[in-house]
Amino acid sequence: MERAILRLENVNAGYGRLQTLFDITLDVPEGKITVIVGPNGAGKSTLLKTMFGLTTVYSGRVLFLGKDITRLPPHERAKLGMAFIFQLNNIFADLTVWENLRIAGHDLDEATLKERLEEVFSAFPRLKERLNQKAGTMSGGERQMLAMAIGMIRKPKIFLIDEPTAGLAPKLAKEVLLNVKKLNEQGYTVVLVEQNVRAGLEIGDKGVLVVNGRIAFDGPAKDLLARKDLARLYLGIGG
Amino acid sequence: MDITLFTGTLVYASVLSLLSLGITLIYMTTKVFNFAHARLALVGAYGAAIAMALYITHAGIKPNFEWRTFGPLQYRAPYPASVYIIGFLGALIGGIASTLVEYYWILKPLQARGADSLKLMIATLAYDFIVMAFLMILNTHATIVHMLRKISLISTSMNFASFDLAIKTPGGALIRGDHIVAPALLLAIAAGIFVLLFKTTMGIKMRASIENPPLAEVIGINVDRIYAISWIIAGATAGIAGMLILLQPSAGGLKPVSASSPADEIVVSAFAGSIVGGVKSIFGSLGGGFLIGFVEIYVTKFIAIATGYTQVTKYSKVISMLAVAITLLFAPEGLAGIIKEGRLRGFLRRRPRLPGRRGR
Repeated sequence: MERAILRLENVNAGYGRLQTLFDITLDVPEGKITVIVGPNGAGKSTLLKTMFGLTTVYSGRVLFLGKDITRLPPHERAKLGMAFIFQLNNIFADLTVWENLRIAGHDLDEATLKERLEEVFSAFPRLKERLNQKAGTMSGGERQMLAMAIGMIRKPKIFLIDEPTAGLAPKLAKEVLLNVKKLNEQGYTVVLVEQNVRAGLEIGDKGVLVVNGRIAFDGPAKDLLARKDLARLYLGIGG
Repeated sequence: MDITLFTGTLVYASVLSLLSLGITLIYMTTKVFNFAHARLALVGAYGAAIAMALYITHAGIKPNFEWRTFGPLQYRAPYPASVYIIGFLGALIGGIASTLVEYYWILKPLQARGADSLKLMIATLAYDFIVMAFLMILNTHATIVHMLRKISLISTSMNFASFDLAIKTPGGALIRGDHIVAPALLLAIAAGIFVLLFKTTMGIKMRASIENPPLAEVIGINVDRIYAISWIIAGATAGIAGMLILLQPSAGGLKPVSASSPADEIVVSAFAGSIVGGVKSIFGSLGGGFLIGFVEIYVTKFIAIATGYTQVTKYSKVISMLAVAITLLFAPEGLAGIIKEGRLRGFLRRRPRLPGRRGR
């Protein structure tokens, strides 16, 4: 079995006093795409945010590369090699594209930053044309590219991506998921929360179904796609 | 033109500008209007006065009020420059310390308990009164009063104006040190903040943390620390403003320093400056404070001359409040919004009709 890069052990978590996750135990395999799906309000995004320390953990442990990070603030997790891409507001709209990338690599030295920028531009050539443009004036697809580029600059060991296709046209959504797949092919571990269940699970290796704050299925993504009972009950995709 | 009125207003406007800057910085980072801000400036003034008094007494420095000549100019510099530098440092320490106490001991614990910005705002008001009481105790404390008396900074209304550098031009005009120092400091601080915000990584971090705190946090920026730095800048500029208040004679809109005055009055104008500047713009606040300083004094003066009713100067704050009302009505985003969009908004633009109710 492959190594778990991130592990949650009996985690109870939520926002403030409102508990939304109950007794979650989950392994995220290294080098794979883990896709979290589930009905609206089931706690998919909360689960992802719990991995990054953006929620309140009441009990249980979060381990990253074997290290207990349960009480670590998000900016420290970023330094350990975790990247989080928000569903909305995932770029600095008032800053230029260059400033966005510069700030994302704020603790890199000039040489490394330059090198990483080249990698980013080879993956997203369109960003290079827009360096001096204010990020907020770009289109939805370009914003998602920039959001991923912001994550890539630091060469994280794991990407946590929250519903990247929400609100995008189907064609753009497909492109964004392809970009996620490309990230994974470059060797990055990805955890993806996706509302488009079928498209998400098709690019995923591991599938996790969250229902009412608990894990209802944890296994290979293709097995979850094949489970017609679960699909019909929770995912709104029939036969 | 009345040169004394102009120079006095220049210092007053610079003080307001510095205070508006701090109010805006704190609002942008912590999302709270700091009602205690002018009081923090007074702590800076006290810090400066006490530091200077201690230094003068301990170093045994005697003031020299003789007029000396320098080319065509005559000047009077009662104390050596070191006294003012010590005072400046005292002002910085007072301003920064009182600001950090407010941030770390009052606002942050409240935030951790889930207080919203309204509760935080009330807390800043409470802190304002606590500091006022503290300053009153200082003001009447025997040892300190004795110390300040020794260098003729009397206890109930400290004033360092008579110790300020003074220059007489051949034309007979009198220029005081703070007439030059106040606008020069303001320009230097504005330039410094511009360089910080737009030319340094720290500045991009600050702008990023202000615009999108959660995103800044997940890309590895310690947003808490960035906010603390903003508070320190706000505290330092408040302290400098306090030092300038201390150097100012009672003319030109500023009153001698005591525990309650001038904070209670000047805070109104400083808020007006912040709002006229656009609340969410650092450079807007600098311009807004400066503008309010001139508008307040010159409009009041104009009304006094036009109506012959000199008592009207007592109501100068009404002018500031009118400026706030006009800003919110016609240009809600203040000077920053006007410069950014090149036009006034609000009443001048046709308002969109609300859906429902009418029209059906």
